[in-house]
Amino acid sequence: MPTNDTEPVRTRRSLLDLLLGVGFIGFAASALYPVLRYLKPMASAGPGGPLKLTADEVGKLAKEHSIITRLGTGRVLVFEDAQQNLRALDARCTHEGCTVQYVPGDSVIWCACHNGRYDLDGRVLAGPPPRPLALYGCTRDPDGSVTIQPPKKGES
Amino acid sequence: MSVDTSNIAKEGGGVFGWLDRRYGLTPLVEFMKHKEVPVGVHSMFWYYLGGATLFFFMMQVCTGSLLLLFYQAGESTSYESIRFITTKVPFGWLVRSMHCWSAHLMIISLVTHMFSTMMLKAYRPPREMTWVTGFILLSLALGFGFSGYLLPWNELAFFATAVGTDSMKAVPGIGDFLLQVLRGGTDVSINTLHRFFGLHVVILPLVMVGLVTAHLLVIQRQGMAPPQGHKTAPKGMRFFPDFALRDLQLWLMCLIVLASLAVFLPYGPHIPGIEWELGKKANPLAPAYPGIKPEWYFLWIYQLLKEFPAHFLGMEGSQAAVLLVGLLMGAWAMMPWLDRRAQRDEASPGFTDIGAATLIFLGFLLFKAWDIGGGGIGDKLPDPVLTARICAFWWLGIASVATALRATVLHQRYFLFTAATALQIALHGLLGMQYLAAGGIALVALVIGLLVLRSRGQAVPEVRS
Repeated sequence: MPTNDTEPVRTRRSLLDLLLGVGFIGFAASALYPVLRYLKPMASAGPGGPLKLTADEVGKLAKEHSIITRLGTGRVLVFEDAQQNLRALDARCTHEGCTVQYVPGDSVIWCACHNGRYDLDGRVLAGPPPRPLALYGCTRDPDGSVTIQPPKKGES
Repeated sequence: MSVDTSNIAKEGGGVFGWLDRRYGLTPLVEFMKHKEVPVGVHSMFWYYLGGATLFFFMMQVCTGSLLLLFYQAGESTSYESIRFITTKVPFGWLVRSMHCWSAHLMIISLVTHMFSTMMLKAYRPPREMTWVTGFILLSLALGFGFSGYLLPWNELAFFATAVGTDSMKAVPGIGDFLLQVLRGGTDVSINTLHRFFGLHVVILPLVMVGLVTAHLLVIQRQGMAPPQGHKTAPKGMRFFPDFALRDLQLWLMCLIVLASLAVFLPYGPHIPGIEWELGKKANPLAPAYPGIKPEWYFLWIYQLLKEFPAHFLGMEGSQAAVLLVGLLMGAWAMMPWLDRRAQRDEASPGFTDIGAATLIFLGFLLFKAWDIGGGGIGDKLPDPVLTARICAFWWLGIASVATALRATVLHQRYFLFTAATALQIALHGLLGMQYLAAGGIALVALVIGLLVLRSRGQAVPEVRS
């Protein structure tokens, strides 16, 4: 069969090589996919619904002005500001994920890992954090108990 | 290659003869007898550092196996089992202390080995793959350190791991997937510990042993690098018994140093990043505490993360910092191909200077991460401006002394990269400029300097002593 020099020669051998190559890739993918799925953690419950603090947590909050609690898969910092208003913020620093703390003396939220500072609404004041902390809803019920509401979608 | 077994029925020759008839050992023995180590114009000292690293790795395997007999990974057992090992098990404190000390000494000897290889240009052809396998071994050693750090499940481990794994999110595209795979969830939890435990005791050791074998095989095949400018070594020293006995003597010295440190400082020298007091058990709901720092060999990255602002060139600051670290490490791995002069077996003074400048760059970041001179005592936080100034004095002093020694003792004449690094330190530390702005100015000055050198023809040749 006459062929042009510039065109690659297509033979049965090259077709077989191509099929073999596709077969190898398919084989590797079919072996790799289950491993990757196995390694990826299963989906967790998400932020979860409203949370009522336990009596112990309310007691600790009154004594130490702040506590950190779990809400779904997240960590929430609940604290009482100088005017004794309750507030709740995502406790995970937006920089590198360390747990932040409330510093009552300076009225700031501070991350000790890389010296990030936020105001009491979670806005960045200084340091490397790129985004504000998500604001959670926090209400004190007439019976003295405290309820935390996760931020609505788009707020976090 | 198969072994000639026709004379297998013969007798005599003792155990060696018996084995030799079956496995054909004579050619191997002949090879060993003729194996030589080049004796060059420079100090032989540098040739022993790889062996010292291997010794510390073997110590890690031994002490790690012993720790494994008592350690139990789990939310309510990890911390408790380490406490049990150090307080109740006879000599448990010694085994853990040796494991921790040996880990640090291994990184020290590995990094020194790498810098000596770099300064002597031992990576030049045909030994590029020795450099690359060595670089991967360094990455694995850092992975060992990072994964092992979490296993005691104490407060320090928890936050160091939270920060270290969080930087994974900076990887474009698959960052979030990698973060979750590494943590076993969105947050650092006991799932992370199980994954790190598997990495630390099975996956990393298997890969490490394989790569160490490859690294040693390529060295066996090619021999050690002769001094630059010589195709073959001017003279050689027999590996057996001359070099091997010296190696053994060094191993003995390493063991004495390791054992002394482990006995007299069982919880480390109490320098941030080089201490392993168990402290408090990890509590994911406790805030990070001030002065929390990763291990010393990650401190330069920790400090860079601090130096970047919230946003940089359209990226998040931490992403930009991680990208910069990735680029620097990538360039380091590609050194044999970047150093064109060494490829032609010519002196490459520019790359010698890059090595020196890298040490100053890393040293300054390390000192800053330690808050040296910042005056942080007790609850008082160190002053970053004061820290930068004192660290600048230190490192400008060290750089001046090193440069003077290089100029007078080693007769080197190329200091452009060192000068750029010193300029950045001076602008940042003495004039109070932002670290990155000072770096930008130093980079521009460096490029202008390189262009001027190029327009003059070529770099000033290095006069070798």
